[in-house]
Amino acid sequence: MLLVAAVVVLVALPFLREPIATDDRLDAPSDAEARRLTLVEERDRALAALKELEFDHRTGKVDDADYRELVGPLRQAAAVALRSLDPPQE
Amino acid sequence: MADLGRAALVVTLGLAVYSLVAGGIAARRNERRLAASARNALYCSFASTLVAAAVLATALVRHDFSFRYVAAHTNRHLPTAYTLSAFWGGQEGSLLLWLLVLTGYGALAVAINRRLLRDLTAWVVPVIGGIATFFSFVLVAVASPFDTQTAPFDGAGLTPSLQNPYMVAHPPMLYLGYVGLSVPFAFAAGALLSGRTDERWIVATRRWTLAAWAFLGLGQLLGAHWAYVEVGWGGYYAWDPVENAALMPWLAATAFLHSVMVQERKGMLKVWNMVLVALAFELSVFGTFLTRSGVVNSIHSFAKSSIGPWFLAFVVISSVFSLALIMWRLPLLKAKTKLESALSREAAFLYNNLLLVALCLTILWGVLFPIVTQLVKGETRTIGRPYYDFFLRTFGLPLLLLMGIGPLVAWRKTSLRALTRTLAWPIAAAAVTGIVLVVAGAGSSSPGLIAYTFSAFALATIAVELVRGTRATGSLFTLVSRNRRRYGGYVVHASVVLLAIGIAGSSAYSSSVERRLALGQSMTLAGYTLTNRGVTVDPKPNVTETRAHLDVTGRWRGSISSGDNQYVNPPEPSREVGIRTDWLRGEDLYVIVDESHAKTGVVFVQVLVKPLVNLIWVAGIVFLFGSMVALWPDAREQRRLVARLAPASP
Amino acid sequence: MPTRSPARLVVALAVAGVLAIFLLYTAVAGHSTPTLTPSEIQGKSGKLQVVGTVVGKLHGDSHGASGLQFQLVDPQGHGGKRVDVVYRGSSPPPLFKVGRSVVVSGTYAHGRLQGTDIVTKCPSKYTASPS
Repeated sequence: MLLVAAVVVLVALPFLREPIATDDRLDAPSDAEARRLTLVEERDRALAALKELEFDHRTGKVDDADYRELVGPLRQAAAVALRSLDPPQE
Repeated sequence: MADLGRAALVVTLGLAVYSLVAGGIAARRNERRLAASARNALYCSFASTLVAAAVLATALVRHDFSFRYVAAHTNRHLPTAYTLSAFWGGQEGSLLLWLLVLTGYGALAVAINRRLLRDLTAWVVPVIGGIATFFSFVLVAVASPFDTQTAPFDGAGLTPSLQNPYMVAHPPMLYLGYVGLSVPFAFAAGALLSGRTDERWIVATRRWTLAAWAFLGLGQLLGAHWAYVEVGWGGYYAWDPVENAALMPWLAATAFLHSVMVQERKGMLKVWNMVLVALAFELSVFGTFLTRSGVVNSIHSFAKSSIGPWFLAFVVISSVFSLALIMWRLPLLKAKTKLESALSREAAFLYNNLLLVALCLTILWGVLFPIVTQLVKGETRTIGRPYYDFFLRTFGLPLLLLMGIGPLVAWRKTSLRALTRTLAWPIAAAAVTGIVLVVAGAGSSSPGLIAYTFSAFALATIAVELVRGTRATGSLFTLVSRNRRRYGGYVVHASVVLLAIGIAGSSAYSSSVERRLALGQSMTLAGYTLTNRGVTVDPKPNVTETRAHLDVTGRWRGSISSGDNQYVNPPEPSREVGIRTDWLRGEDLYVIVDESHAKTGVVFVQVLVKPLVNLIWVAGIVFLFGSMVALWPDAREQRRLVARLAPASP
Repeated sequence: MPTRSPARLVVALAVAGVLAIFLLYTAVAGHSTPTLTPSEIQGKSGKLQVVGTVVGKLHGDSHGASGLQFQLVDPQGHGGKRVDVVYRGSSPPPLFKVGRSVVVSGTYAHGRLQGTDIVTKCPSKYTASPS
């Protein structure tokens, strides 16, 4: 019986703590936030890919010719990602 | 006391339903307090399950035979370790363990991620709640561990042949693996339900998946070792449905572990990963269904039970739910990039996935075949070992090769020229190994030779990677600690290669012979000469040990005994094989005494020589080490994650 | 730069290849054996497996010329059909005994199963100790 009482209290806790909620909205990220997160992931992905390419080149997995071919697009992608994250110049 | 246990389970059921329903509503309507309440319900469900578990454990230790479960699985003479392990020895107890681990893992995963991933976690709660609802329902209504009876004086003990440390370690380890796969599943479902397009769920569950996968793998190796030394037929895996029940989700999880890397880096294979994680989860529940329902013939026979139909229903419903969810959110799962070259890391992962899933589905077909033929033809047909061996070779050998090539291929594309240069050393190493092996006589088995050569290739590529990486970063330690996942992964690859060598050696190159030996008679096999020196019968208080003693000369000088034990209480026999391990050569001399006559000294023996079999167990240790390296928490990575996910400052 | 990457084609071919291997194997080699209970076995012949419970007295020795002889009935005990089994080979597994559930593989002809392999199911893990 004690168990049930404890459980009921714990479950109801969030409501008991704030009987009147000023803002009951689940802090779900807004659409803008979601877009930002996607862009941040893009940026991190592009930077990580660049880093990995450099490492692979240094360790000889990617030879010079391949490196030259691959690094350009990756740098561009990283630049684009970084730029899109900058606050708009106003 | 049983009342407390029953009540606790009912409370868990109620909480699970609440977290399912309230959690779902809260996530749908974006209500913070309700979501927090549902979360609390999930935490409490773990607490109440813990209470139920404590009740059962206490009853076991106290030998409270008024609990039907305790009376059925322990007796007063049973050593404490096995009394405790009886918790998961029976059906109801093992389901309780499942629920305990599920609520525990679920509560922990939700608690860790609740701040950074608020909306995602809000959906994870009802998914876990749903799974917990099923298990707690079964425990409350169908198979309760808390049924009572008038207490008999003593209970039924564990058969002596099952009283060994494996009984204590093998099942919980498997369960930590099986149940662990529900966490990535719940997060994946949560990601789909919350309708977002990012990869947070993968990053959040990365370590969970890895840990569950590692537990499942180690649990299986423990089982194999148990079979090898205790059951004593000379093998370690019989393609038994219950064994396959653990292998299939493990293969799916292996594929998943690899393909999420592609999704993280390239934004590709999103739909595929969703399907894979659902497949791994469904297979782990299905595996429990197979094991516990008695629907297929297996040497691990658990009694045909009533939980079968319930489990089947759950698998069907959750599969339909997962598929519907994926189809509904298909537009969100569009790939960001395309596959550009058939010779790229992405493509290598794809081939790897293809082979792993093909093997998994092949095994699934083999397991389901008797059921299918029964339904379709009215006649049960069973698929035998040759089928499984064939496909293990067909899909496994290319996988072995791929394990070597994959890490040396770059993302997006690698030119053939660069690849041949990088592969020059490993190919040379493999070729040399191959030639040496053929000269040494390994040509007797083509699959074995191929396995060995591919293994040499794969090991050489791992060495190349480590050498190159160390040269670039300066120290091996720095290299590994900066790239824990990758290099931990390489160590795991090495363990798989060792496993492959061990399996190849002990199956393709093993020898076996059966003989009748009179007293003093000898036989020879693979360089060992064994001479029968007679039979001893040793009656002890609870067991009579009959042993045939053989002197060994040749590759090894010594003596080996093998025979059987006849227990008194309960009267059960168990085979006790004689194994002599040559650690230098990694091979085992394995002696099974079929039949022995103490008076005449005549014995019927089956002698096997299994080369390299001990590499399998060594591989287990390497596997453990590699997994730990890959799992090791990385402070830098954690900081980056927080920076990424924390809301932008206003 | 071609818009369609050859990679897709390679992957598709690989999938097709795997499927082909599978279908070819199962068509050619098959390797499935009927698994029947004693009541289902009437009228059949050839290589098969019988699932049943061991009954009656055990005669003979698996190593001997006339083999180990026993009978099998349906696992659940339904049906009165019995199957005569003559098993030759290495001794049956230690758990083999009258009353146990087993699977015997072999060739069935003229009402008798010439068994070559026996698999015993793990007995109930828990046995009552005499009090």
